[in-house]
Amino acid sequence: MRPRTVELGLLVLASIITVAAYGLTSLGRAASLPANIVPFLGIIVGLLLASHLVVRRWARHADGLLLPLAALLNGVGYVVIARLNPDLADSQSAWTFIGLAAFSVFLVAVPDVRPFERYRYTLALVGVVLLLLPLIPGLGVNINGARIWLRIGPFSIQPGEFAKIVLSMFLAGYLVEKRELLTAATRRLGPLNIPDLKHFGPLTLAWGIALIVMVAERDLGSSLLFFTLFIVMIYIATGRTAYVVLGLTLFAGGAYVAHESFGHVRQRVAIWFDPFEDPKGSGFQIVEAAFALADGGVTGTGLGLGTPGKIPFAATDMIFAAVGEELGLLGATAVLASFLLFVGAGFRVAMQAKSLFEKFLAAGITALLGFQAFVIIGGVLRVLPLTGVTLPFVSYGGSSLISNYIALAILVRISDRANRPDVLPSPSRIGVPSDEAVA
Amino acid sequence: MIDRNIRHVLIVLLGCFLLLFIQLNRVQVVDAESLRQHPANTRTVQRDFSRPRGIISTADGVVVARSVETDGPFELLREYPEGELYGHVAGYLSFNIGADGVERSFNDELVGRTPALQLSGLAGILGTEESTGQVVLTLRHDMQTAARDALGDQRGSVVMMDPRTGDILAMWSNPSFDPNRLSSHDGQSVNEAFVELVEADGNPLRGKAFRDIFFPGSTFKVVTGATAVESGIVRLDSPVFDVTTEYTPPLTSRPISNFGGNPCGGPLIDLLRQSCNTGFAFLGAELLGPERLSRQAQAFGFNIVPPLDIPGAVASRFPTDYGSEQRAPSVETPAGVFEDSPGLAQASIGQNEVAATPLQMALVAAAVANEGEIFAPRVVGEIKNSKGETVSTPNPQIWQQPISPATASEMRLAMLAVVENGSGARAQVADVEVGGKTGTAQLGTEPAQSHAWFIAFAGRPGFESELVIAVLVEATEENPDQTGGRAAAPIAQTLIEQYFAAS
Repeated sequence: MRPRTVELGLLVLASIITVAAYGLTSLGRAASLPANIVPFLGIIVGLLLASHLVVRRWARHADGLLLPLAALLNGVGYVVIARLNPDLADSQSAWTFIGLAAFSVFLVAVPDVRPFERYRYTLALVGVVLLLLPLIPGLGVNINGARIWLRIGPFSIQPGEFAKIVLSMFLAGYLVEKRELLTAATRRLGPLNIPDLKHFGPLTLAWGIALIVMVAERDLGSSLLFFTLFIVMIYIATGRTAYVVLGLTLFAGGAYVAHESFGHVRQRVAIWFDPFEDPKGSGFQIVEAAFALADGGVTGTGLGLGTPGKIPFAATDMIFAAVGEELGLLGATAVLASFLLFVGAGFRVAMQAKSLFEKFLAAGITALLGFQAFVIIGGVLRVLPLTGVTLPFVSYGGSSLISNYIALAILVRISDRANRPDVLPSPSRIGVPSDEAVA
Repeated sequence: MIDRNIRHVLIVLLGCFLLLFIQLNRVQVVDAESLRQHPANTRTVQRDFSRPRGIISTADGVVVARSVETDGPFELLREYPEGELYGHVAGYLSFNIGADGVERSFNDELVGRTPALQLSGLAGILGTEESTGQVVLTLRHDMQTAARDALGDQRGSVVMMDPRTGDILAMWSNPSFDPNRLSSHDGQSVNEAFVELVEADGNPLRGKAFRDIFFPGSTFKVVTGATAVESGIVRLDSPVFDVTTEYTPPLTSRPISNFGGNPCGGPLIDLLRQSCNTGFAFLGAELLGPERLSRQAQAFGFNIVPPLDIPGAVASRFPTDYGSEQRAPSVETPAGVFEDSPGLAQASIGQNEVAATPLQMALVAAAVANEGEIFAPRVVGEIKNSKGETVSTPNPQIWQQPISPATASEMRLAMLAVVENGSGARAQVADVEVGGKTGTAQLGTEPAQSHAWFIAFAGRPGFESELVIAVLVEATEENPDQTGGRAAAPIAQTLIEQYFAAS
């Protein structure tokens, strides 16, 4: 089947699931269908249809799985948010609209992502500035202990969400340029071959700044994600395990130092080891999440029939626990499976990509979203210490949702070009690796 | 090569998600039940808060807890008509605090979630009948009221039990609390009441009859005596222990003296009758030894959480480590000498680290009264459906068998002697056979104060005992000279009188 047909069918399916879940939630809570179910259905179908038409017109060879998976996750998240807090749901529907609009605008306005490669160092600067913005007094605000927000008029923005994409672009471009050098072994450090340190300069700098900022902003989750992104992308570019070992060593060292120096880090780790030590105090979030999931069991309490409102931050960081409570092991597993399918589709795009830059960018963005899902779900399930990041497409949050849709647009754009039959391979504009070199 | 690297990352992510899936199964399936039962989990209680819920009533039909309709945020409000009288037993059902007592441990029965109740509700599934269950306590309202009145303003606990079944007939601790304050729909006033109760003097929220341990003092001599008889070393009438005013255990120069500095001695029956410290300390430290006494105390239920059917019962304590053997058994000290033989001598008379709940001491009396068998204590005897038909009546279960019927019968005679012409004379009741043991556990001399204990069994002459009692009047500075015989035995006497007058 042609990808657009697949996409349309799956989008219809995602709409049906979302609208049915929305109706069921209302039935569960008030034993009646919501008054706005018909307009709701219309808006969902309309929005997704519009996005589909944009893809059909401007990226018609793109993978047909990505958009429907995002729509499904977004829809499930919306239903849970609406069930928890109708006010948040109103905002979230606005964010969804803006996100899909950004997705469409990107596809219309950017026929090819390769030009970004040329501006990699500018992008690095932009990324760092975006990260630093919340630290500026008067502009940045503290929310729940993390200083990662900008207050502009009535809106709060998390520039770090956008920095992730911008820095992925920088990294992709930088690695295209330095791949050869980074792959060539010139020094030995114990059993490991390490390239000359000077080639590491800009990379280490970006890395260090990202980490310092994250620590200064007390956003452990994003810090962890940036670290992972750097390691993953360098590994993909070079295939050198040495970087992974080095990265993990650096990470272990950093984690140890952070643990010793910062009370909030120590507390997170202590909670991770034993949240039941203080179930009504510091361990409250994790313990309530576990109770919620246990209440859900295999089949869940049913939409609208549980008490996910008891979980702190249920609409944002802890949304996976709310899903697990009302939809059970089955629903939670479906969310896990959706992310896995998304990651698989994203990596397939990367493998099909025709230039190195696109390959690295697609792989980086996919890995970022995949690991972000792992970090927050792992935090909720106590596989990892809990760090506050959003569950991509599912959690409440404008910055997160919009940046996720832009990331999606990038993947769709790369996928479209990769599958375009009529485009002859052409060398990229700055003359680095042609497509043949990659294959 | 790059595609291969991408595949590697994919495999790592697959591994990560597999880990999530495994953990998800652990939380939602494997550990789910224990998480649902976790004490910090208020979800089940909150979910059941607005559901129809059966009544809790006493064995003689007095309603202790019921749900009434309200116009408030929830349709039903839980009410406790008897207030604080059953606070520790029936417990409470609170939206923000959780639940305790029967309300907690019999939650499934009350909301009708057990298979038996659901089956019994099936017939009416098309009708409007509720499948809620009624819980019938073993407690009798007349006995519970009598226990409260007999203790009066004094701090302490009373446990009355049928030794033949383990059915608790009364279990009262003063101070208590009014569960209505915690079941209100006004969350803030509930929180305030809870904080007030937690911080209140005397800890009224804690049912001390089964949730707190106290020095049992001389009531523990029943255990020491039973150990001696059970091991065949001692009989009621022989050997005859020296009459002394002091006994100094091995490896110490600090003597143990008798109450009031009086001399005492003689055969076991006299030791118990006079509550002779020197005799029992010698018996425990030099004739029985750590191993026998520890084993026997545990057989009576010490160091084990009793299987009470409401939450929070605690284990009573008998220390078991007395260090290594210093001197082998000899003719003078057949049990040998251990590093902490002085501690063992103290433990033998219910001092040192020995501590017991009033419930546990009632169970000790029950073993003597019931031919050596201790039934699992319980406060719930019957579950009924919403129509009042019996759904289940659990059979009484034997919990421990610490001593043989022969030993029980000997100890019975000794305890009868205590009441007949010994320290427990104030517990005598006309036309009732009462056996007992006093206890006066000194907490210290600065200021001097003592817990006053009395444990007893009672029955019609020539018949088996049908009642055991443990009375604890807690130490106060106002009444430093209170003794088990003077402060606790009369309470037992009153209750035994009322019990036999009623039946």
